[in-house]
Amino acid sequence: MSAHDYRVVVEGELGARYASAFEGMTVSAHDGVTEISGSIIDPSHLQGLLERIAGLGLQLRSVTSLGTDRAG
Amino acid sequence: MIEPKLMLPRVHAGTMRRARLLDMLDRDGGSALTVLDAGVGYGKTTLVRSWCAERPEAVIWMTLDAADDDPVRLWMHLATGVERLGEGLGQQALLRLGARGAPVESAVDELMNGLVAYDRPVTIVLDDVHSVKNQASIRSIAHGIKRLPGNARLLASTRSDPAIGLARLRVRRALTEIRARELAFTVDEASALITHEGIALSSQGVELLVERTEGWPAGLYLAALWLRELEDPDAGVRAFAGSARHVGDYLADEVLSALAPQTRDFLLRTSVLGRFTPELCDAVLGRTNSADLLAELARSNMFLVALDARGEWYRYHHLFGEVLQLELGREAAPELRRRAAQWCRARGLVEEAIEYSAAAGDAQTVAELLVDHHLEFIWGGRLGQYLGWVRWLPSEALVDHPLLPASGATTAALLARPEVEIQQLLGVAELARRKRPELWSPYLEAVVEVTHSETIERGDVGAAVEHGRRAVAAVREGADILSVGVLASLAQALYFAGDLAEVRRIAMEAVQRPDAPDVPDGYVGALGLLALVDAEQGRTESGEAWARQAIDFARERFQADSWIASLAHLGLALACAGTGRLDEAEREAVRGVRLRRSPQPTVGHAHALLVLAQVQVARGRLARAAATLAQAQRATTEFPDPGRLPALAAAIERNLSEARSSATDHQPIEQPSPAELAVLRGLAGGLSRREIGDQLYISLNTVKTHTRELYRKLRVTSQAEAVARAEALGLLEPGQSPG
Repeated sequence: MSAHDYRVVVEGELGARYASAFEGMTVSAHDGVTEISGSIIDPSHLQGLLERIAGLGLQLRSVTSLGTDRAG
Repeated sequence: MIEPKLMLPRVHAGTMRRARLLDMLDRDGGSALTVLDAGVGYGKTTLVRSWCAERPEAVIWMTLDAADDDPVRLWMHLATGVERLGEGLGQQALLRLGARGAPVESAVDELMNGLVAYDRPVTIVLDDVHSVKNQASIRSIAHGIKRLPGNARLLASTRSDPAIGLARLRVRRALTEIRARELAFTVDEASALITHEGIALSSQGVELLVERTEGWPAGLYLAALWLRELEDPDAGVRAFAGSARHVGDYLADEVLSALAPQTRDFLLRTSVLGRFTPELCDAVLGRTNSADLLAELARSNMFLVALDARGEWYRYHHLFGEVLQLELGREAAPELRRRAAQWCRARGLVEEAIEYSAAAGDAQTVAELLVDHHLEFIWGGRLGQYLGWVRWLPSEALVDHPLLPASGATTAALLARPEVEIQQLLGVAELARRKRPELWSPYLEAVVEVTHSETIERGDVGAAVEHGRRAVAAVREGADILSVGVLASLAQALYFAGDLAEVRRIAMEAVQRPDAPDVPDGYVGALGLLALVDAEQGRTESGEAWARQAIDFARERFQADSWIASLAHLGLALACAGTGRLDEAEREAVRGVRLRRSPQPTVGHAHALLVLAQVQVARGRLARAAATLAQAQRATTEFPDPGRLPALAAAIERNLSEARSSATDHQPIEQPSPAELAVLRGLAGGLSRREIGDQLYISLNTVKTHTRELYRKLRVTSQAEAVARAEALGLLEPGQSPG
């Protein structure tokens, strides 16, 4: 299975505490949204990330696959 | 003790009564199924709880969690809830769940029967259904919904749509849905909340707050906690509205930073606990006054949920618990969880101790706990849960505790998991035997060998006998506790191989052991084999006695037909056939086949079909016998070593063709008319001539005329002969054209 880079956007700007929920991902907040991006190794990994987002009461705006990166 | 999973959360004094939503739940007397489907913090649990508090009927409340991925565990808790409605109502379901390898759906059916017997309105609440991911568990819930009796209502809360056929239920209007749109606070509701909390916020301030939070209940409750501490709440709301920060993030910050440092520290460090008591908090935090602090927090804050009236069990609101854990950070959590595991272990809360240890990444403790308690899980039927934990452990931990891969393989076999999974666990056990010979024991040897042997169901009879013999040798060397099951297993393998004298000796040893009744599947299986062997060898009387002993024991134990008695039903079928009671023989054989049914072909099922075919030949139901025989033969050709099954099939085939040729020797002179056939069916059903006349609206004389004509056409001289001939010719079978 090869890893894919993903960009997930949620509503609202997240502070450092919420950002710490997404270990291993790059989190950046601007213009009323937060982008969480990084390498996702397989569908379960993505599913886990989406559940984490739901568990924190965050509203999902978009999920974008940025294509395959180096073999993962 | 009532388990915290089954406790109704307390309604907090500060909770808003949401009349609009309560009316939705009551409308038209309510649908059988209500789904509350919305994200975290939408007040689903609170709403259902307040509704239950206003209703007169009994409530079974269950909070689901990830461990309910084992359907047996899920339904055991629900059956315990039903059992509490009244003496014995959940008993049948619990017995079925306790029988290893029995399908969960049959227990669900029993549970629904228990609800029918309750005969009064009852509400079942499944809270947090989204915690369950396993398809088998979700299917069992969907099955339960289909069988829900008229006196029961089911309310399910979830964060995401469960795969229980919601679209179909929607079309049939059999479903009430309450989703985020309905659950969000209106401006009026928010205004009532703010007033109730004694906050002096202007109406524009309330509108701004609802707009900023989009009516998200968790956001509004957090805002209330924050605003009630402010001098100028309107200014606070304006600043909040002007910020681009996420609602929960912003408000949690405000609430957490306003807390006294000691309280804050307490909240952060206890946030790693799922459900907790004051004693557990004391143990984890090394303090002594958690009870007072929790009581105070439960009074003043809505993010702590009291699960009972006595102040014993608590949990945090899901969202708040998540935020607290983020604030605590990752470094501190494992040590706190380890202490929680120790506390639970010392109090015999095995499942919790395993879960905390697993969350702390403490494989060593998980392995120790599983080794100490494996029989409770396996004999208690919680196989999926046990196997899940074994598979969670890294392979080094499995090699250090060889019992775990060995018993894991047994469990996987009982759960009918794919062959590759069973073989992989047996492979790890084998590795452990070579790497750590000092840990190996006859007990482990017996467990591994009997698991190998039970793959007989997959069609290698020769290998099953070989492994069965090794398992028995290991048991004799020093694993007496496993004797009954292992002996029964070898006896079954030998039976399918065809060594009937040895079957009798081994099965007899198993049933004569004083501990035999403690191992129901082994005991009943061995009795069934004795019945089969005696009936086959012409000792019909003792065959029947063994069979009845087995069936009665299984009925008493499980209060229903159990799969473990399938061999006994087959033995009884042969004993009945041997003494000419052919109706009863076929009934028993059909029962034996039904109880042995499985998704993939098995030796046991193929053998049951052969017994049925044999009885059908004896009864003269030749068309049916041929179909049954063909089904058995199709399965048999797939087995690498089918033992004596091909020989049995060949013998039945010979009997069948003899019966066929003697039937063609006795072709009727002329086909009976439809009216004559109707009379013939009455005779076969044991009716008197007068009763037949009444049923067919014809006179007794006409019945007699038809009977005389039948005798002539079929070339017989008595009623018994006429019925037997008609059966052999297939004249009585429905949908069969005469002749």
